[in-house]
Amino acid sequence: MSDQSKSLDVLKDIGTAIVQSIDHEEFPTLKFPGRGTENLVYDEKSKQFVLGNTRVTRDSSNLRHIKSFTQLVWVASYAKQLLQAGRTSSLRDLYYSSEAFGVEFTDQAESDRTVTDLECLTGIAREAFGVFPEERSSIYGQVTMRYTVAGYEGRDVDLTLSPDGLPIGPALVTADPIESKAELILAVESGGMFSRLIETRAWDRFNAVLIHLGGQPPRATRQLMRRLHDVLDLPVYVFTDGDPWGMHIARVISTGSANAAHIKGLTTPDAKWIGVTADDITKYSLPSEPLSNADLKRLDELSRDVRYSDSIWQDYIRDFRQLQRKAEQQAFSRHGMDYVVDKYLPEKIC
Amino acid sequence: MNQDNSLRGEFSSISPAEFFYRNRQMAGFGNPSQAVYSTVRELVENSIDACEEARRQPDVRVSIDEERSGVVRVTVSDNGTGVPYDEVPNAFARVLYGDKFTARQRRGTFGLGVTMAALYGQITTDSPLIVVTQTNHATGRYYQLLIDIENNQPVILSDKSHEREGPGTEVTIRLKGDLNRSRERIYDYLQLTTVASPHARMEFTINGSSILKMGWWHQLLPTPTTPSKPHPHGADLELIRRLVADAGERSLHDFLVESFQRMGKRTATRFLKFLALNPRQAMNTLGREDISRLSSALRSFDGLGRPDGKCLSPIGKDAFLTSVESVFAPSALTYGSRGPTEWSGNAFIIEGVAAIGTGARAADVPALYRFANRVPLLYDSSEDTLTKMLKRVNWVQYGVGSTTPVSIFLHLCSTKIPFKAAGKQSIASLPEIEHEVLSLLRELGRSLKKTLKRGERSVRDAQKKREFDKAMKQVAQFSAELAERDVVPSTAELIRRLFEVDHHV
Repeated sequence: MSDQSKSLDVLKDIGTAIVQSIDHEEFPTLKFPGRGTENLVYDEKSKQFVLGNTRVTRDSSNLRHIKSFTQLVWVASYAKQLLQAGRTSSLRDLYYSSEAFGVEFTDQAESDRTVTDLECLTGIAREAFGVFPEERSSIYGQVTMRYTVAGYEGRDVDLTLSPDGLPIGPALVTADPIESKAELILAVESGGMFSRLIETRAWDRFNAVLIHLGGQPPRATRQLMRRLHDVLDLPVYVFTDGDPWGMHIARVISTGSANAAHIKGLTTPDAKWIGVTADDITKYSLPSEPLSNADLKRLDELSRDVRYSDSIWQDYIRDFRQLQRKAEQQAFSRHGMDYVVDKYLPEKIC
Repeated sequence: MNQDNSLRGEFSSISPAEFFYRNRQMAGFGNPSQAVYSTVRELVENSIDACEEARRQPDVRVSIDEERSGVVRVTVSDNGTGVPYDEVPNAFARVLYGDKFTARQRRGTFGLGVTMAALYGQITTDSPLIVVTQTNHATGRYYQLLIDIENNQPVILSDKSHEREGPGTEVTIRLKGDLNRSRERIYDYLQLTTVASPHARMEFTINGSSILKMGWWHQLLPTPTTPSKPHPHGADLELIRRLVADAGERSLHDFLVESFQRMGKRTATRFLKFLALNPRQAMNTLGREDISRLSSALRSFDGLGRPDGKCLSPIGKDAFLTSVESVFAPSALTYGSRGPTEWSGNAFIIEGVAAIGTGARAADVPALYRFANRVPLLYDSSEDTLTKMLKRVNWVQYGVGSTTPVSIFLHLCSTKIPFKAAGKQSIASLPEIEHEVLSLLRELGRSLKKTLKRGERSVRDAQKKREFDKAMKQVAQFSAELAERDVVPSTAELIRRLFEVDHHV
């Protein structure tokens, strides 16, 4: 509740500043940290990458800014309405709502960017304003959560309730863990592997909370992971495909994404990438494919990325470059359905 | 024998008055609506000429009253010189009498038009022409005149002293005419007259109610024209004979230099050498053969400079732009001019204004307004060489198309306008004029293209302003909601200032 009133205050201040500018017959401007990768700085204290001191200015007297300025002010007023009404909205929903207010976005990517602008401007994550992405990832494990959202306050949910796993949405993110038999969190990239681990009762065997990432995970998923890690003191293991993209999913979970470097509480700094590493491809003789040009280009980019300056990560990159091959998580199936649970995971999780 | 007699009987001469009445459609009196229009036009032209003569800004009042169906009374009054009293009967009631037979630009040419109107009025309504005129420092006079058609002589019905508010002339003609079908043309004519004579003011009253009052767009009176000596290219046999008759014993060389413009001593020497004539030969010793040779050589002699332009009165850049702007309020306009040059020895200048957004409908070819010696031409446009030249230009290449309404105003001024007929409504096709008109139209086209581009930019600016205006209103509204303020702050002043600054940059 206090979070909500704080958010409302921040929005009100923004509005007041703009109205005062107009009253003084000056074109209002808005300043907030820039989100370019060159403005990413590692913050020792929060152990994540945060935005540096470079600021961008939206000047309403500038023809090139006026459109995005209007969009930003509208998103702020929309957020305020959501907060006051206690409602949530998806990013897509927000994109379509804009039309009713006579505000134009070229596409949803533009409205998504504007929402991110509002986060930078306010320092508050969009989830706090009730704005969530459309896609959901899932969770499964022996943890009981208690909802705090309106209408569900005090109701509990067991995360093993559904054999398909439970979708991670706004309600679950704000729910509190009250009971747990879990000892670790195992986040996996693909849906196939997630189902396999549920079916083979790997969650029971490793006392693991399973999380399906589905590529780069939505923020709510990272937020929930971080909370479970903090509150239940669970170590986090990240299991992805053996290619630069999978590797980067793990890295974003521990150090943060450029897109959300302005948001705190999304990263789990000590999350551990267990693979598939280039080494694993050789060691477990996994069926593999040659790295494509796009893969190699991505490796080049990552090798220059500040988030990969650690020698251990530079080693991972070097290994892929040397091997010139990649493998999916499902590649373990060549050794039989249960191989990954019986052999690979025990060796990696210890 | 009988046959011979009857034949001989047909060979009687007719008076000019009779001739023109029989051929009245040539002079623009072919039907009742054209008759009203032509009457107004002839009187107005005379009035403006008279005011310019007096170096006064013309103030011309036209009033038309419909007496009964089909009969109208046209009165035109001016603040001009007035007509010398002893000239009044001849000037108004005798065909082909006037003071305009000199080589300089005038609106009327032969003093024929007004008499024609009087003649038409007299025949259709059996009413006399009424003239009230006052010259400087004199009491005005009032005349009622009829024309003796057979003998081409004025008949004075009344001639008396008459008070007038100042110098000037007022002419009243009763005629059979169709006012309803001519009123729009007359309106257009008077309006366009203020375009071609921006120093003049026109007032138009129908049945006592004023329907037009405009003009005095430009304060400067046109520089008075001065008659020029004939141009050598206009030296036809008739002219040469007349000049030779006055030349007496003068030498051939002196005769050329004194009689013609652009004929200096050197040019004359060169010319005579080329013809192998003795420069010192006395004029009265020249034979018919020599005179004929002289005439054709003069007419085809090139190597003459541009003709004298002092005999011409173009509207001029400032005045023309100002008048078009005042009457049509276009969004942009441009001026161009060509000349002076000559056709058959007659000096001419062609000038024009191209205007964007005059209310004309957009078309592939611009709307055309024609003027000859400051007189708007309203009839027979398709016959006119100006119209033909306009259509010959590929306007699309200058950006004139279905979205840009463009009007072109062309003014041809010349010591002699080659009209197709005495009605003076369309200009005949002459290669010299065609050439200059085409060049001028292309010049106007080129600057139009530039202007249109600039125009597109200003349209874009206006669009930008609309975008800003809309966006800032939204910003104000959304931020007022955020700030929990009931009153949305106004952004009008902000937008106004932003674009004001932009324009000065």
